[in-house]
Amino acid sequence: MPVVKRRSSLIRSPQFSSLVILMVLLAVFAIADANFLSPLNISNMMAFLPELGIIALGMTLLLTAGEFDLSVGAVFGLAPVVVMLLVQNGGFDIGIALLAGLLLCIAIGAVNGLIVTKIGISSFLVTLSMLLVVRGAALYITQGFPLKSWDQPGFFVTLLAGSFNIGTFRFYTSLWWFIGLSLLAIYVLHYAKLGNWISAIGSNRNAAVARGVPADAVKIWLFILTSVLAGLAGMISAFRISAASPVAGTGYELEVIAMVVVGGTALTGGRGTILGTIVGALMLRSIRNGIVLIGVPGLAYNIFVGVIILAMLILHALLQKNAARS
Amino acid sequence: MEVLRLHNLQKSFGSVRALKSASFTLNEGEVVALLGDNGAGKSTLIKAISGVFPVDRGDIYVRGQKVSIRSTRDAMDLGIETIHQDTSLAPDLSIARNLFLGREPVNLKWLGVFAPLDLAKLRDAASALLKRVGISKKLDADALVSTLSGGERQSIAISRAMQFAAKVIILDEPTNNLGVEETHGVLRFVKEVRDAGHSVLLITHNIHHVFQVADRIIVMRRGEIVAEQTVADTDLLTVESIITGADMSALLREARAK
Ligand SMILES: Nc1ncnc2c1ncn2[C@@H]1O[C@H](COP(=O)(O)OP(=O)(O)OP(=O)(O)O)[C@@H](O)[C@H]1O
Ligand SMILES: [Mg+2]
Repeated sequence: MPVVKRRSSLIRSPQFSSLVILMVLLAVFAIADANFLSPLNISNMMAFLPELGIIALGMTLLLTAGEFDLSVGAVFGLAPVVVMLLVQNGGFDIGIALLAGLLLCIAIGAVNGLIVTKIGISSFLVTLSMLLVVRGAALYITQGFPLKSWDQPGFFVTLLAGSFNIGTFRFYTSLWWFIGLSLLAIYVLHYAKLGNWISAIGSNRNAAVARGVPADAVKIWLFILTSVLAGLAGMISAFRISAASPVAGTGYELEVIAMVVVGGTALTGGRGTILGTIVGALMLRSIRNGIVLIGVPGLAYNIFVGVIILAMLILHALLQKNAARS
Repeated sequence: MEVLRLHNLQKSFGSVRALKSASFTLNEGEVVALLGDNGAGKSTLIKAISGVFPVDRGDIYVRGQKVSIRSTRDAMDLGIETIHQDTSLAPDLSIARNLFLGREPVNLKWLGVFAPLDLAKLRDAASALLKRVGISKKLDADALVSTLSGGERQSIAISRAMQFAAKVIILDEPTNNLGVEETHGVLRFVKEVRDAGHSVLLITHNIHHVFQVADRIIVMRRGEIVAEQTVADTDLLTVESIITGADMSALLREARAK
């Protein structure tokens, strides 16, 4: 009986229903427009996917621990801007500038984490304020103008935004980053001791603390991780398009959170799934892409994205209710 | 031999003096029942001992050594395992993962928090433990705690305290919500660990249970310890009247005289 239960719970699990819906969406888009599955379009989607996907991995862990971060989009914008200013105006070596960017992201995450855990203000308010501070800083130091990014080929550009061809498909190295980090995140959340702690903290913080789990430290590190991943994604994007804009990443925080919850991670903590997040990232990417292809006017597509996300969440809730009843 | 001694512990929450002054000694191989009405300060006392929050004032001695318990980890490392009345389990985790929360069996220990869980060992140890408590034959170690009844959850929390051979096991109302069989399982467990040389501090509202397993009784009222008696020297009615505070002065005098 437990075996039967487990199998049916797999089918009822949120990431499974997300996967089914992803398949349906892909099929619909493929039928509606033959170009959807063309090598060019797939390469295109795969170029964009990692940038939000990488942030979503960090956000999944953070949400599982019961917190979230609204400042990721702003950090996505600030990190490359700071790095490029250091290189162009400060005359620093690109390696050193990248290191400084990394430290900046660590600092932002640490401040978020410390205020949330030590002062006890909800992460919604703390990271919302941080969003304003970080976005404001990016606008101020650039005076609102986009910077030309690093366009000379070199080690770091290849590392973050190099590209290679497999047949007629063109892939960026960022896809490897996304795959590698996804595997790491799956390992940490589902197989490592740390993952057990993360889920326990989000599920019942007091119980975890009573067992000696350092809940505050874990949360602070997850805030740092999320910030660093947002900065990394920002760098990847800036290198890819050879420009660093102070408004890059605007609105990404909500899109990332949408990816994560559409994939089946609970907004209330305790239940997280990296596989679900990957499915969620693919889903939102293909919706954005597919909607344009089938000719929805550009200005209207947020309506569609919003409606589809809402439909997904309603479906999850219904499935959940169904599972609880049986 | 003395295992745990509390000296003049005090704790306030704002203007609520939850613990005015508590001093007592727990000996090796002894079951002490901590009694008192709702809000008497029992949970506050044991939370202070188990490191949930620091006390405002007072000292704690473990085996004669003065200790400072600043975190739950400190208490666990000193051999004090606590089952709290109101927390205990993470509902989104499996039974097995809850049983080993904070002390997970891992491979490749040097990886620290990134070490992989030893899932086979986790499941086997969990099943063995569930069987030993005798209340959970039908429970699957992989089941999520959120799918369990209140009583089943309580049993899991108790099994968890059993697995680490703690010197002092503190149980805050462990038989709450339990059925007849589960209650007997808990009381049997209390006797078992006592006979194995551990000390138990048992908080309960059920005086019958106290007379079945306890060696000594401590009664709290409004943040203070008001009576201390050995079970052999008292009876159910006397204890009941101390708890409710009927004829306090006479009873206090009697208790002091002993
Ligand atoms: N975290 C807290 N903040 C404020 N007041 C508290 C807190 N914890 C306990 N108290 C207060 O301290 C007093 C003692 O509470 P405690 O939980 O220790 O009682 P108890 O003896 O365990 O009662 P019960 O039998 O109902 O569990 C109560 O008046 C309670 O309201
Ligand atoms: Mg209590």
